[in-house]
Amino acid sequence: MVKADNGIKITGKEPPKIGVYICWCGINIGGVVDVPKLCGYARTLPNVVLASEYKFMCSDIGQGMIMEDIKAGKVNRVVVSACSPRMHEETFRRACEEGGLNKYLFEQANIREHCTWVTMNDVPGATRIAKDHIRMAVAKSGQLKPLQITTVKVEPATLVVGAGIAGINAALDLANSGYKVYLVEKSPTVGGHMAQLDKTFPTMDCSSCITTPKMSEVARNPNIELMTYSEVVSLDGYVGNFQARIEKYPHYIDQNICTGCGHCIDICPVECANEFDLGMKPRKAIYLSFPQAVPGEYTIDMDHCIRCGICQEACPTSAVRYDDKPEYVDIKVGTIILATGFQPYDARRMGQYGFGKHKNVINALQMERLLSSYGPTEGKVKRPSDLKEPKSIVWVQCVGSREFTGKGRKYCSRVCCMYATKQARSYKEKHPDTQLFIFYIDLRAFGKGYEEFYNDTAKNYGIKFIRGRVAEILEGENDNVIIRAEDTTLQRPIELEVDMVVLSIGLEPREDIDDIARIFNVTATKTEDGFLMEAHPKLRPVDTLTEGIFVAGNVVGPKDIPDTVAQAKAAASSAATLMSQKEVEIIPYYATVLDHKCAGCKSCLALCPFNAITFNEIESVAEINDILCKGCGTCVAGCPSKAIVQNHFDDAQILPMIETAIFKKPKQEEVKVE
Amino acid sequence: MSNQEVFDPYVLGIFCNWCSYAGADGAGTSRMQRPANLRIVRVMCGGRVDPQFVINAFMNGADGVMVSHCHPGDCHYVEGNLKTVRKMPILKRYLEQFGINPKRLRYIFVSASEGVVLTEIAREFSEELKELGPNPIRGGN
Amino acid sequence: MASNELKFALFLGCVIPNRYPFIERATRAVAEKFKIELLDMKGASCCPAPGVFRGFDIDTWLVIGARNITIAEELGVDIALMCNGCYGSLLEVNHTLKHDKEKRRMVNEHLAKIGKEFKGSIEIRHVVDIFYNDIGPEKIKNRTKYGRKIPLNLNLALHYGCHLTKPKDIRPWGNDVENPTFFDELVEISGCKSLDYKDKNMCCGAGGGVRGAFKELSLDYTREKLENIAAANADAIITCCPFCHLQFDLGQVEVNNIFKDKISAPFKIPVLYFTQLIGLAMGMTPEELGLNVSPDLKGVPPFTAVKPVLKKIGENA
Repeated sequence: MVKADNGIKITGKEPPKIGVYICWCGINIGGVVDVPKLCGYARTLPNVVLASEYKFMCSDIGQGMIMEDIKAGKVNRVVVSACSPRMHEETFRRACEEGGLNKYLFEQANIREHCTWVTMNDVPGATRIAKDHIRMAVAKSGQLKPLQITTVKVEPATLVVGAGIAGINAALDLANSGYKVYLVEKSPTVGGHMAQLDKTFPTMDCSSCITTPKMSEVARNPNIELMTYSEVVSLDGYVGNFQARIEKYPHYIDQNICTGCGHCIDICPVECANEFDLGMKPRKAIYLSFPQAVPGEYTIDMDHCIRCGICQEACPTSAVRYDDKPEYVDIKVGTIILATGFQPYDARRMGQYGFGKHKNVINALQMERLLSSYGPTEGKVKRPSDLKEPKSIVWVQCVGSREFTGKGRKYCSRVCCMYATKQARSYKEKHPDTQLFIFYIDLRAFGKGYEEFYNDTAKNYGIKFIRGRVAEILEGENDNVIIRAEDTTLQRPIELEVDMVVLSIGLEPREDIDDIARIFNVTATKTEDGFLMEAHPKLRPVDTLTEGIFVAGNVVGPKDIPDTVAQAKAAASSAATLMSQKEVEIIPYYATVLDHKCAGCKSCLALCPFNAITFNEIESVAEINDILCKGCGTCVAGCPSKAIVQNHFDDAQILPMIETAIFKKPKQEEVKVE
Repeated sequence: MSNQEVFDPYVLGIFCNWCSYAGADGAGTSRMQRPANLRIVRVMCGGRVDPQFVINAFMNGADGVMVSHCHPGDCHYVEGNLKTVRKMPILKRYLEQFGINPKRLRYIFVSASEGVVLTEIAREFSEELKELGPNPIRGGN
Repeated sequence: MASNELKFALFLGCVIPNRYPFIERATRAVAEKFKIELLDMKGASCCPAPGVFRGFDIDTWLVIGARNITIAEELGVDIALMCNGCYGSLLEVNHTLKHDKEKRRMVNEHLAKIGKEFKGSIEIRHVVDIFYNDIGPEKIKNRTKYGRKIPLNLNLALHYGCHLTKPKDIRPWGNDVENPTFFDELVEISGCKSLDYKDKNMCCGAGGGVRGAFKELSLDYTREKLENIAAANADAIITCCPFCHLQFDLGQVEVNNIFKDKISAPFKIPVLYFTQLIGLAMGMTPEELGLNVSPDLKGVPPFTAVKPVLKKIGENA
């Protein structure tokens, strides 16, 4: 990977024969400067063998001129002076290629956007600048080298990390398109947070009713290899050719002979908190997350198991294996989709709300479990202190969101206004005689059917929406909860005693998001947002800056189910597009380290945002992976020994531009620079 | 060719492809007029800008140099612009020691939609340079 | 500012020298035990009061506060103070002048007339800060474990006050000042327990010019606090500010009088300044801490009898 001359064939020792083509661009250029005169000027420049002009160089005829001259052997470098290269660089490059010239031996001088269009009335001025730009382009083109585009094959397989609704949808779309999918999920079951929800807004669809069919589908699909209770521990490679190592945690149960009879659960003597029910219901040390878990694999939680051996004895098929060990699987994929989701905000950080202190203050996810028919109370909402059905409930909005005191996040979590409205409505439907309040700052009902849903709930269900952020929550008598807030609409303070309070907690990035970002070589945003960064917030919402790795769902930012699914499908589509091309082109602007100049100082390693530079300890030189390298040139500028060269934007190419830029009158002293 | 008596400053711009060059294109598309002083060299990223470029520009007679990149946080290559912006204060000191007024070097952030900003700065810079006079290497201060 | 030796200039403010001198007495006595040296600030004036003065004219407040700070700057030590109000004033004056060049220039123009200059060279420390951050609750616990034959074992209702904790950005208490616990940690010594009572963080009612302008309203606050404290069955109220102390002590008598139709029975809860508590826990006598004055002496605090709490801990007053 490290050779003295970029490893690209130099076209012999022939001197550059530069052809300059100046475009009139109708009157855009021709109406301001004297194009034929510019041609005459171009002919006086070093290495220029011909200078032609045409009204529209980008037209077939204009391109034809270039191709003919190349075929006739008249030129081996092409400079077009016309519009911005951002317009037509690709057009002219292809013309060169068709004429038989390597497309990177082309340079474009911008004499329209940067010249005639901004100095329309100053003809001598525009002419000066046009000449300077042409002279600079000619200087650079004389130093250009032919470059080969590397193509790499793309493995037609995808790794989807995270099997919540985003991961599941992406996996299904790709599997149904014929690609092999490895679906890796950290917890023992797929389904993610959506499986914990009761109903979904605004349709009041039962969440598990719409999720479980997809969960089964993902387990059944022949193209999907489902690995639950597993984690990606390392990743190597680059787009089209990723190698991942996956650790499969031991279940301590032989899944091949376990019949799922559940006898072990009945007799296990250890009880601990069930994470799926947010600690509101106990489970045994040997467990199944929830009844509809997919895959329906039993697991022993070794953090709580006391290894009493009772389950081992009692199992009718002797499926319990205490000596089970983690298994490692190595896979090869072409693309990766990260869909690791979010974690709910820990409301204990808002000390004044008393979560974790006051018995009847719960968070919204706990409320979902209480409302859920397979939750800890089988769908009958009961308040924790006395298990009575609450006659009055307050929802506190923006807990941990829109928070500028450092206890939470500054952003809005997007879904809380809607889910609180949904929960209140759900409860009121079954208990019409209760008093329900929602204390909010704003009501964000932005999606399809959301505003109508809120409107309907507010008008027809008698739920009181009070605008005022709750200041503090106290415990009253009988474990009732007292909230203090200001009713800003009526401009007076409120103190309300209710049976139960639900905190509408926000969505946060997962605790392990930095680990994820590190393993997958994608940047986690450095803003307080904390989520993974997409390649471009508007135009590339599911891409990352690492080619071949896509993101979908809450791992990028808080969002509701429709947006999550849309992103999952978008990521699957992007991955499919990449894989369907079977090969991917790498733009050859990469940088290379010159072995003989590298002093081994390692300054460049920290400069690369794409982790393309590694250090070869044996030879004591830096090495650049030319596929990971994106060609930004930061390491080139940063190397103290000038040991890094870059294709197409090397010092040898840029410095001549600068040196010839200023027009020097013959009698001025020439200052010699290195 | 050019009238040496009327001093027309030579400004060399080093612009990054994704934001500033696009911004300059935008200024052109919108026909925002500016004095004929600015010549632009394209680099892919602000991080590519070697202080050597700036020094060479001045040694070759440029009256002013304008380095323009994406706003912090917007760099197409994540942080290239930041890696160059931190070199600027030292570079300015260095230029000063060589007798070149550090005001002749400008580091600005121009995004792809900020053609107006660029035009204003270009105009203002030209005015400032007219007052400062030609590059000392060409006989000014 | 001070390295390993604890040396401060003790700023007295107004309420302590004029109305509650035993707070200074107790603080000095306990400080000596912990090898904290407290220098006098000659010529110190009112801080000036953060509510009243700052409310009228910020520049005046800055200049007078700065003058007090310069006395300590000339001594070359940080200021230690015992009052939340003085803390609010001097800390914020110090911070403002350290960061606002314009205000600093204005202040120094005035101070130049009396030959003084604000340099911004010292810090302002409340004694709670000094005991919590410099000495630490662990050390205090150790020193008070065997200070008495029988530990105090009191149930205490703490009152943090307002200026001690807010605004939190320039105070050394970290992020959680909605439900602070640092003062509780300081007084849970010698078997004492800090009670949780309703609206513990509520204002006493005195500050902000309220006691001066709307006395009955300020006493209504005090009444509510006393009711909540009584409901928690506290043996004593512990304060860290002489104005809060005054409001609970003298104010208790006033509440018993003005609100006698509203309250079920007159309040009889002794009020102690926290250094008095630490002193008692270390085995010092009530005399040393200014705790044995009988409420019969007119105009001499304490106005609410401390006998009940002294009896409880076995001291014959």
